[in-house]
Amino acid sequence: MQSVLSIAVDALAYGMVLFVISIGLSMTMGLMRVVNLAHGAFAMVGGYLASYAVRDLGLGYVAGVVLAVAGTVVIAAPIERLLYRRIYNKAELIQVLMTIGITFCVIGIANYVFGPTLKTIPLPEVLSGPVDLGFRSIAAHKLFAIVCGLAVAVALWYLVERTPFGVKLRASVDNAPMAAALGVRTKSVYAASFAIAVGLAAFGGIVGAELLPIEPYYALRYMVTFLVVVSVGGAGSIGGALLACLVLGAVDTTGRYLVPEYGEFFFYLAVIVIVCVFPRGLLGRA
Amino acid sequence: MNAVFEVERLNKTFGGLAVTQAVSLTMAPGDRVALIGPNGAGKTTFVNLVTGHLKPDSGVVSLAGEQLNGMNPMQRVQRGLVRSFQVTRLFPEMTPREHLALAVLQRQGRTGRLFGTFWSMPEVLEEIEALLRTLGLEGAADHKVAEIAYGQQRLLEIAFALALRPKVLLLDEPAAGVPQSETPRIESALAGLPADLAVLMIEHDMDLVFRFAQRVIVLAAGTIIFDGAPGEVTKDARVREAYLGSYADDRSAA
Repeated sequence: MQSVLSIAVDALAYGMVLFVISIGLSMTMGLMRVVNLAHGAFAMVGGYLASYAVRDLGLGYVAGVVLAVAGTVVIAAPIERLLYRRIYNKAELIQVLMTIGITFCVIGIANYVFGPTLKTIPLPEVLSGPVDLGFRSIAAHKLFAIVCGLAVAVALWYLVERTPFGVKLRASVDNAPMAAALGVRTKSVYAASFAIAVGLAAFGGIVGAELLPIEPYYALRYMVTFLVVVSVGGAGSIGGALLACLVLGAVDTTGRYLVPEYGEFFFYLAVIVIVCVFPRGLLGRA
Repeated sequence: MNAVFEVERLNKTFGGLAVTQAVSLTMAPGDRVALIGPNGAGKTTFVNLVTGHLKPDSGVVSLAGEQLNGMNPMQRVQRGLVRSFQVTRLFPEMTPREHLALAVLQRQGRTGRLFGTFWSMPEVLEEIEALLRTLGLEGAADHKVAEIAYGQQRLLEIAFALALRPKVLLLDEPAAGVPQSETPRIESALAGLPADLAVLMIEHDMDLVFRFAQRVIVLAAGTIIFDGAPGEVTKDARVREAYLGSYADDRSAA
């Protein structure tokens, strides 16, 4: 029973970290139709900045997280303006090549600036110990990741489905020329959505650093994982991404606990099965 | 009454072929004008020139005394020259209510808001409700556009255009493709358009033209060959020759 609960908590925490990072990619792929392989690179940049701010500069955890997320968005903004705008509405292969190029550049720069070692983000006391839930205790940082995931899901749903900006965003996605004819500045909408997506990637990279450690090849190591979550969930679907993360998180964590020698076999087996049964993803747009 | 919409000697040639030749027209608030003409007469080109989707070789387009030449389509929409958007230009994943919210908020310059929902903006909701009621779309208000009936989509086009508070509304075959059973709804929606709005309707269905328009303009080979009362149009020899053909014969026989 204890191990079932341990697996469940780990699966949930891992799934939620995947969700926070991947949901931004789901937005860029589903809403803006850009295959952004460099998404993980922005999660990594967030992790590096947070590690630098908290460990090296000695800032508080919250300040470090806020600064790192803002810093990642600031770094990403000119990249969006100069590089991404060229590949909106271009063939997917062009997008793949461009964003994989960006990924390797970021890896190179991170390696040069921060060195090849693994970076930690020191947790504040309140997140480093266990939390007693009454019937058992779980690691506070895992609980924190779960809460962050749920908060991001709700906030993003609210933004997209309920706010004027969300209506404008969906209109731009559905029919960009038409939205532009109405006076919607689609370029600004895309830039804002990109900033939100990158900010979420950075936030996920930081919150999930205990589970997906920050190191230069992070951007490459988890690239496929994030892409898989988006395709399994259905690009552009918040509920789909959440469901995909929970299912894949559960499969992966259970597999690692019970039959660790199989590595990621069960994760990708689940992916193959889901893609066969739901070719558009679990809750994908038509 | 002062003209709200003026087109003066509009010209456009494509590779030496004159598709619009010295087209001029003036409309006052409340005018109901039908623009008709055989296929290839240059109706669509004319609309594109007026809305700013095409650049004329010469000529002037003005709205409420302001010259629109040099403005892009978006600026013209913001000033009140609105073309009803064809169904293919609606947002399939959004509901009619959201369409209208977008149009109203966009008109008011409030779509940038990240916080607060339009559900909590009573004046916006009220305006949306009024438009939905006017066009009889209440029942379909919260279904995705891709899932509602074609006739309702066409009604939404009109509602959407109205939400932008136009001074001049260009309607592009508002009843085309709509099943017979649903055309009365479209016609009553057209009859219920704001009294001070100038409406220019491109239409092939002559029955609708005769019921809707106080004035008919016939375009043929890029020039206006008739501009007058609907009752006169079938009697005009040039029009009969250019366009109406058997229909005019049927009608005068009837």
